[in-house]
Amino acid sequence: MLSLLVLLGVLIGVGLWAVGIYNGLVAGRNAYKNAFAQIDVQLTRRHDLIPNLVEVAKGYMKHEREALEAVIRARSQAVTAQDAAKANPGDPATMAALSGAENQLTATLGRLFALSEAYPDLKANQNMMQLSEELTSTENKVAFARQAYNDAVMAFNNRVQMFPGNIVAGMFNFVAAALLEIDNPAKREAPQVKFG
Amino acid sequence: MDFFGAQEHARRQSRRLLWLFALAVLAIVGAMDLVVLGVLELGADPRHVASGGLLDRNGPALVATTLLTLAVIGFASVFKIARLRAGGAAVARELGATLVPTDTRDPLLRRLRNVVEEVAIASGVPVPQVFVLEDEEGINAFAAGYAPGDAAVAVTRGALERLSRDELQGVIAHEFSHVLNGDMRLNIRLMGVLFGILVLAIVGREVLLRMRGGNNRNAVAILLIAVGLLVIGYAGLFCGRLIKAGVSRQREYLADAAAVQFTRQPEGIAGALKKIAASQGGSKLTQHDAEEISHMLFGDGVGYSALFATHPPSSIAFAGSNQASIQTN
Repeated sequence: MLSLLVLLGVLIGVGLWAVGIYNGLVAGRNAYKNAFAQIDVQLTRRHDLIPNLVEVAKGYMKHEREALEAVIRARSQAVTAQDAAKANPGDPATMAALSGAENQLTATLGRLFALSEAYPDLKANQNMMQLSEELTSTENKVAFARQAYNDAVMAFNNRVQMFPGNIVAGMFNFVAAALLEIDNPAKREAPQVKFG
Repeated sequence: MDFFGAQEHARRQSRRLLWLFALAVLAIVGAMDLVVLGVLELGADPRHVASGGLLDRNGPALVATTLLTLAVIGFASVFKIARLRAGGAAVARELGATLVPTDTRDPLLRRLRNVVEEVAIASGVPVPQVFVLEDEEGINAFAAGYAPGDAAVAVTRGALERLSRDELQGVIAHEFSHVLNGDMRLNIRLMGVLFGILVLAIVGREVLLRMRGGNNRNAVAILLIAVGLLVIGYAGLFCGRLIKAGVSRQREYLADAAAVQFTRQPEGIAGALKKIAASQGGSKLTQHDAEEISHMLFGDGVGYSALFATHPPSSIAFAGSNQASIQTN
C-alpha cells in the first residue's frame, strides 16, 4: 500500500516536471516567433520603401537601368522569401532563403547608392534624402530586431537540446530553430547632410 | 570589449555607495543623539542628577531625538520626491523642451525619432516621448521620468546638428540605459533624502535666527541643539552630495557600457564624447535649474568641481575600449 502511494507520488512528480518543461518549450517557441514578427514588420517596411526609392532615382539615373532593375528583382525575391519565412519562422531552409534574399537586396542597393554618388542632384533631392534616412533606420531596426530574435532562438534551442529538456522536446517534436543572419548594411554610406 | 563585465562592475560600485549613503543618514541620527546627550548631561543640575547609567537617565530623550530626526528627514524626503516624480514629459517641458511629433517632416527631427525607435527595439524599452531643447547649442541629452512607462528623452539642438547618425544613436542608447536601469528613480530618491538632510540644517538655522534674549538654562540648551542641527545638517549634506555624485558617475559608466551593448558600435558614443570635449560650448546648458536633471544628462550640464561632478571627467576612456579607467574608479 505504502509503496503504491510512493510510486503514485513519484509519477505525479515526474508528470508535473514534464509539464513544466513542456510549457517552457512552448513559451520559448512563442518568444522567438514573436521576435520574428518584429523583424517581419521592419522587413515589410524595408520592402515598401524600395519602390519609392527606385521611382525617385529613376528620374535622375536614366543610364543606370540595369542597377535599378536589379534592385527591383532582388526586392521581389526578398518579398517572396519573407512570406515563406513568415509562414514558418525558425525553419532552417526558409531562414537561409530569407537571409540570402535580404543580403542580395542589400548588395544591389549598395551598388545603386554607389552609382548615385555620380548624381549630385539626386543626392540633394529632398525625397531621396528622406527615403534613404527611412531606409537606414529600417535597416537598423531589422538589425536590432534580429539580435532579439537570435537571442530568443538561442534560449529556445538551449531548452530543446539540453538534458533533460531534450527528452520532452523529442517526445513532443520540438526542433531547434535557425538563427537569422543578415548583413548589417548600416555601414553603407548614407547621403551626407551638411549644415551651416 | 566586455560591456557586460563593465556594467556589472558599475552596478556593484553603486550598490556600495548606496550603503554608504544609508550609513551617512544613520551617522547624522547618531550625531544628533550625541548632541542631545551632551546638552542634557552638561546642563543637568548636579544636585538633581538621577541615579542609573548614562543611557538609563537619557533613554527617552534619545529615543525621541532619533525618531524626530528620522521623521524630519523622512517627511521632507517624501515631500520632495512627490514633487519631483512628475512624468518625464512634465520634466522635459519644465526645462523648455518641445515635443517632437511622431509624424515630423523636419529631416533632423525625423532622424532623431528614427534613432529613438531603433534603440527602443535594441534595448526592449517602450518608445519614450521625444523632446528637443531648441535653444541649446551645446551637445547634450537627458532622460527623465520616474518609471520606464512615462519616460521622456530630450536632446539639444546642438546635438541634432553636430552629431552624426551613429553618434546620436550612441547618445540615445546611453539615455535609454538610464531609463532601463531606473536611474531617474534612484536619483530622485537620493535628491529627496538630501533635501531631508538640508531641512535639518534649515530648522537649526531658523531656530538660531528667531532666538530672542532669554538667558536661562533652556535657552542655552536650545541654542546648543540648534547649532548642532546646523552643523550636522550641512556636514551631512556635504557627505551626501559627495556620495550622490559618486553614484551618478557609476551610473554614467553603466550607461556607456549599456549603450555599447545596445548598439554594438562603440564608435558612436566615443565620437559623441570626443565632440563634446572638443567643442567650445561643450555640454553646458544655459538653463539654470539644470541641477535636478544633471544626473540624467549625457554630458555634464552644470559644471561642478570634480568631487561633486555627476559625470566622470571623460568616459571616452571606456568607449575607446580602455577598461583600465573603469577598474580604478
